[in-house]
Amino acid sequence: MVPLALGVLAVLLVWVTPAVLARQLPFRHAPRAALVAWQSVSLGGMLAAVFVAPAAVVVLAGRDGIARHPWLVAVGAVVSGAVLLRVAVSGHLVGTRVRAARARHRDLVDIVAEHERDGLRVLQHPTATAYCIPGRSSRVVLSQGVLDTLPPPELAAVIAHEKAHLRARHDLLLEFFTVLHESVPSAFRSRRALAEVRLLVEALADRAAVRTSGEVATARALVAIAESRSPDAAMGAGTSAPVRMQLLVAGPRPELAAVAYLIAVAALLAPLGLLSLVLG
Amino acid sequence: MPHSTSAPRLGDLERVVMERLWEAGATDGATVREVHEALEKHREIAYTTVMTVLDRLAKKELVTREREGRAWRYYPADTREAMTAQSMRRTMDDMDLTDRRAALLHFLDGASSAEIDDLKAALAEVEARAGNGEETARRLRDRLRR
Repeated sequence: MVPLALGVLAVLLVWVTPAVLARQLPFRHAPRAALVAWQSVSLGGMLAAVFVAPAAVVVLAGRDGIARHPWLVAVGAVVSGAVLLRVAVSGHLVGTRVRAARARHRDLVDIVAEHERDGLRVLQHPTATAYCIPGRSSRVVLSQGVLDTLPPPELAAVIAHEKAHLRARHDLLLEFFTVLHESVPSAFRSRRALAEVRLLVEALADRAAVRTSGEVATARALVAIAESRSPDAAMGAGTSAPVRMQLLVAGPRPELAAVAYLIAVAALLAPLGLLSLVLG
Repeated sequence: MPHSTSAPRLGDLERVVMERLWEAGATDGATVREVHEALEKHREIAYTTVMTVLDRLAKKELVTREREGRAWRYYPADTREAMTAQSMRRTMDDMDLTDRRAALLHFLDGASSAEIDDLKAALAEVEARAGNGEETARRLRDRLRR
């Protein structure tokens, strides 16, 4: 029974929960806690998947009979190993690709941009844009357009937003979810989940901007940069800007954080609890 | 900070050398000797340093090179404007969208015209509330003073 329950739990946490969680829009008002919940759900799903085989071995061989069934143990180890290997391989592939792309982009920016104080890089381009290149040798990149368009408090908001990404290593968080996204069989992948996590990361960085420059300057910066870009037909509807703006209007909802943390704890305790049923 | 000077200095030199190649132009390019001669007028710099820097730039694919007799002739990979435009672009063409979004974190992922109208409406709301907040605070201060 327990191995089956673990299998069901794995599917629930890997497939069903992300789809449901991505639709719980109020959690956007508690981005930090929501991100913790997302990580726990993913981790819990992976634990459940890895625990299926050991639980099955214990159930089939009996708690005292494990030593007498070396083949069963070997098969169990291979099955669990395959799950871990899949995650490790996709982690390696995603990590290598992303790091190479960042290094290439950093080389390019370092050669074409003006080097300002505080490691800021300024591109001589009229479009207002700002981004960061995360990693061990990180950069915050601004365009001359954004320097010309934004008054100092709004510019400070944008820089605080980008520095928050770098300081809190949001890139690692996104990489973690990208890796899990790719290691799950494609039928179980949820683009929506990945998009929601990206939005939460942006909402979190916006909060850092609000702490530095206040809501008004942050909101103005969002509008100014959105306006400066030529409307991007390819983007269609559903970019993060309107949602982030709504979050600025609404402000934080701390009571939702408690719910998100509860989900996080439950998602981690469930697979551990089930495994302890067969071992204990 | 004696230990931290060498790497940034090499980075600075890369930009100086690149500047020189952009001046030389995409069609003419320049040899190590030509770049060295141009730079020597303004600063003390070893021929081998220029060679090293150009080699590094070639490895980063920021310059291309062609054999010319026993030397290399170096060309900028593209004009400065084109390379700047390239670094402005949110998309790195040869990458999958998921990877791209993990590689660089942009302040904003763009917005459609309809969305911009919504944004402005929401901004008005934020501004009005902040205005009210200041108003309320001032009234409160006034009352306390009295």
